[in-house]
Amino acid sequence: MTSPAVPRSSRFETWRLFVIYAVIFIVLVVLLGKLLSLQVFGGRNWIDAAVANYTKEISIPAARGIIYDRNGYVLVRNIASYNITITPANLPNDNADIQRIYRDISTLTGIPVNSGTVEQAKLYAPCVGGPGISQLVDLGDSLAPYSPVEIKCDVSQDVARLVQEHESDWPGVSVEVNPIRDYPTGSLTADVIGYLGPIPAILEPQLTARGFVANRDKYGYAGIELSLQDVLAGQNGKRVVQVDVAGQEIRNLQPPVAAQPGYNVTLTIDTRLQQAAEASLLREINYWNTYFYGNTGQIRISSGVVMAMNPKTGEILAMVSYPTYQNNRMARFIPYTYYQQLSQDPRHPLLNNTIQSEYPPGSTFKLAAANGVLNEGVISSPNQIINAPGQIELCNVYTPNEPCGPNNMHPFVDWIYDTDPAGFGQIDFYHCIAYSSDVCFYKVGGGFGTEIPNGGLGIFRLGEYARALGYGVPSGIELPGEASGLIPDPKWKRITQGENWSTGDTYIATVGQGYVLATPLQVLMSGETMANSGKLMQPTIVRQVTDSSGNVQTVWYSPSDSTQWMPHQSVDAQGNVHQDWIELGSGKIANQMPAGSYQISPFVPNVKWDITKDPRIGTFTCEAGNCIPTGQYKTVAPNVVKEVQAGMRMAVTDPRGTLHAAFVTDYPLPIAVAGKTGTAEYCDDVALAANRCQYGQWPSHGWTLAYAPYENPEIVVAAFMYNGGEGAIVAAPVVARVMQAYFELKSIDQANAGGG
Amino acid sequence: MRGLSWRNFDFLLFGAVILASAFGAMMIRSAIAGNETLAGYDTRQTYFALAGSAVILLLASIDYRYWLSIHWPIYIGVMVFLMALSGLGQAAFGAQRWFQVGTLYVQPTEFAKIVIILVLARYFEKSQNDPRDLKWLIKSLLWVWGLVIWILLQPNLSNVIVSMVIWAGLVWMSGVRIRQIVVLGLVFLVVAVVGFRFLQPYQQARVLNFVQPDQTARQGAVYNVQQALIAIGSGGLFGEGYGHGTQTQLRFLKVRQTDFIFSATAEEFGIIGAIIIILIEAFIIWRCIRAAQKARDVSGAMIAMGVTILLFFQGAANIAVNLNLIPVSGLPLPFISYGGSGLMSLMIGVGLVESVVMRHKELEF
Repeated sequence: MTSPAVPRSSRFETWRLFVIYAVIFIVLVVLLGKLLSLQVFGGRNWIDAAVANYTKEISIPAARGIIYDRNGYVLVRNIASYNITITPANLPNDNADIQRIYRDISTLTGIPVNSGTVEQAKLYAPCVGGPGISQLVDLGDSLAPYSPVEIKCDVSQDVARLVQEHESDWPGVSVEVNPIRDYPTGSLTADVIGYLGPIPAILEPQLTARGFVANRDKYGYAGIELSLQDVLAGQNGKRVVQVDVAGQEIRNLQPPVAAQPGYNVTLTIDTRLQQAAEASLLREINYWNTYFYGNTGQIRISSGVVMAMNPKTGEILAMVSYPTYQNNRMARFIPYTYYQQLSQDPRHPLLNNTIQSEYPPGSTFKLAAANGVLNEGVISSPNQIINAPGQIELCNVYTPNEPCGPNNMHPFVDWIYDTDPAGFGQIDFYHCIAYSSDVCFYKVGGGFGTEIPNGGLGIFRLGEYARALGYGVPSGIELPGEASGLIPDPKWKRITQGENWSTGDTYIATVGQGYVLATPLQVLMSGETMANSGKLMQPTIVRQVTDSSGNVQTVWYSPSDSTQWMPHQSVDAQGNVHQDWIELGSGKIANQMPAGSYQISPFVPNVKWDITKDPRIGTFTCEAGNCIPTGQYKTVAPNVVKEVQAGMRMAVTDPRGTLHAAFVTDYPLPIAVAGKTGTAEYCDDVALAANRCQYGQWPSHGWTLAYAPYENPEIVVAAFMYNGGEGAIVAAPVVARVMQAYFELKSIDQANAGGG
Repeated sequence: MRGLSWRNFDFLLFGAVILASAFGAMMIRSAIAGNETLAGYDTRQTYFALAGSAVILLLASIDYRYWLSIHWPIYIGVMVFLMALSGLGQAAFGAQRWFQVGTLYVQPTEFAKIVIILVLARYFEKSQNDPRDLKWLIKSLLWVWGLVIWILLQPNLSNVIVSMVIWAGLVWMSGVRIRQIVVLGLVFLVVAVVGFRFLQPYQQARVLNFVQPDQTARQGAVYNVQQALIAIGSGGLFGEGYGHGTQTQLRFLKVRQTDFIFSATAEEFGIIGAIIIILIEAFIIWRCIRAAQKARDVSGAMIAMGVTILLFFQGAANIAVNLNLIPVSGLPLPFISYGGSGLMSLMIGVGLVESVVMRHKELEF
């Protein structure tokens, strides 16, 4: 078949086709060029982006350590908190089924099926409540359909069980179990244990680097929960998984790293004694508040402290600070209104008054003065008779050369003056301690004419003996925020008060007033040193640290920076193994721990120092009232300690002794008790506001410090009553009842041990 | 059936189309793995490809001039369908593009493009001896816009552009003058600038996003293209292996069975696979141009060129979208992307080209 030849140009011009070819060619070059630049030259970055797309790190939370008391009674544990969740991707396909599930969950939880819009639901944090179930699920479905959406948080165990039983009827609905802290002893131990809160913003970078997850993991905010955070927290585990675009896990990309649970901590606290101590304290506070103000709601004693310690080991057996708070209310989150209420309360319930508050120690401070007076030979012997009338005129001068005259002579009154203006009369130094004679201590502390020449003990040497008994510096106990107290001296006064030290300041400081401040724990430590014949033990609240299988760990605590350390072995480049230390939490390795660290587990009694053996007392060369340290240190003679002990014993045995009424008449104990009371006049902002600071009848705090048995002490107790009045009357009964409880518990334990 | 000789049937073109469709079905299978709602799409696509192959053979056996003789009923019929879409079509993605027939979703727009090629081929043959003046040009444009206006009203901007490119290409081949092109270019510019204001917001956003991408946007407008680039880039030289592309299999890559199937291929088969796809497409286009050169008359040449331009433009535009060279358009990759109507209309186009090449002017005696 043929047809007439038609030239190609009659269909189209060839050059026009070449233009088309050219266009196709250019487009092909552009496409291939871009393809090359993406796949051959840009590959690495895009592969990284693809890996980042599908890689997800999941932190496995570590269980926080449990805290026990010394008898194994649980003080802190982890309990389950139940959240009802819906995973949008797992809901059934049929909308009617979904609505039925929503309705069932709604009746169970009270969350409405529909409330507001999805847009509004975006504004709510999880668990707050507000949006309806549909809105929450729709929002979650659009964000990450395989992530559970929290519908109702912290439901009761019954509701959680009910949901678990229905899990097959309600596909997509499940119960999420979160561990939260539970404090079975609640407010009884809140000041010791503390509470948890979200990871503080300032610590977030370093804690995140250690594997913590902000907004999920908790951090200690007070008490042992804070100071032993690194021991308790453990190490979060990690899983690196591949996820699809909806967030569904496909597989593990790396072998999972299991979480290491935190270590368990056993405290030295005996919960039974703690309970007795709290009851004893509250009974006394309520008694006196009612006595003075009836049921008017007015308060006389606004706060108080009672502590018990084993003087041989430094173990704190009870530590009660009133008022306190309910740390169980902080277990899930810190409620705003409750926290506001606590932090604005003028009595400071969030403070652990035993270590975080400073008060004038009053006459309990005379123990420091007494050791100094006897050891420095201010009086020839404790048998020297000192004249102690009801009040004396003393000279208050600001420079050594200032003459004493009518302008600067002031009456210095003994506490007995109100009831017996004649005072104690002619008494020896044992009775000065036993009767807590202020006049006697004014004389020996600051000098009194020819009776006590050369200015008595003087403020510089008084400070040395006070520090030797534990005053003036934080004790280093394993609790956060410890106050240091204050031992004033002329330099301190010039710097902070802009005034010269006066002779009157010395008199006042000798009886633990004026500028002298101490924490109740420091007062307890001074009593412990005396009870333990000069050995000052490191006060401790931790008895041991165990791992989750119960093996006791070796742990040291550094009070200066609250770090906790464990022994560690390092292998150097040569393959030599050498012993060093690893800091818990940060994992830092160091050849030695910070200075002042001590072992907290396994338990060993740590001696801070022995004043009869370790030279702790600085000596001075004094000229015209100004003293310069010589750099020489000396010890306290053992007999001096014994003589002060005898004075403390006499406070109980002598019918006029300050503790006679409490320990012999009111709460007779078959065991020999020795002690010291204190009544510290004060005028702080609270007292000023209440118009209590009247000249001549200042308000006063009550103190009592006592230990028993006198011959071989096993318990020392201190009690403090804010605005309590006379220590012998308000604080001594508290101490006496704690001692009673201690010996009762001891006999019960012995009976049990014998019977078992 | 004068002159029908299967000896002239372009088996290479037919083979390349079958190869591309098979490869497409295989990639769709990988792309939809694990997705319940898309399950079975690979099988459907295979059925479409088989039916399409039959259509190619059927159309090849029918003289293409038969369709030109009944161009009025075809033209009016498609127009009616397109008009009906404004009211009856399914509302999907904000645009009305489909008829549902049983389980099939028919997109008349895809077939309209073939009809445009047909009516233009007929027009340019009839007017082959007319002067190439404005009247000639506007008449051709009117034929196109009789259908395109309804596509624009859907609104389906991408296919309006495709239709206009086909028109421009055929006008070019039919001998439009350079002066007219300059005038047309200016008109196009004005229309583009003014027309931008009448675009749908999502279309405006796509254009703006392309011109100036929002660096802060993680999700949404730039997300799909970004994921496509990650997929292509992480494919590297040899790819991650069939069924092992993480972007595709873990569904970070969106609409991976249609718009972004090129990215899925580039991820799983690397640059080797991407170039093979481009080469197959280029080969098909070359065979269509060859048919145009061989055509015995103007209408045959224009049909072949029209199909050439349709395949080239859709293919190039799709790959350019994947490579983030032009804004997202939603045009499928010929023979590879999932879509029954699209595949079938392209198969019809190839069938027409085969019909042309089988009836080409024989020079041998």
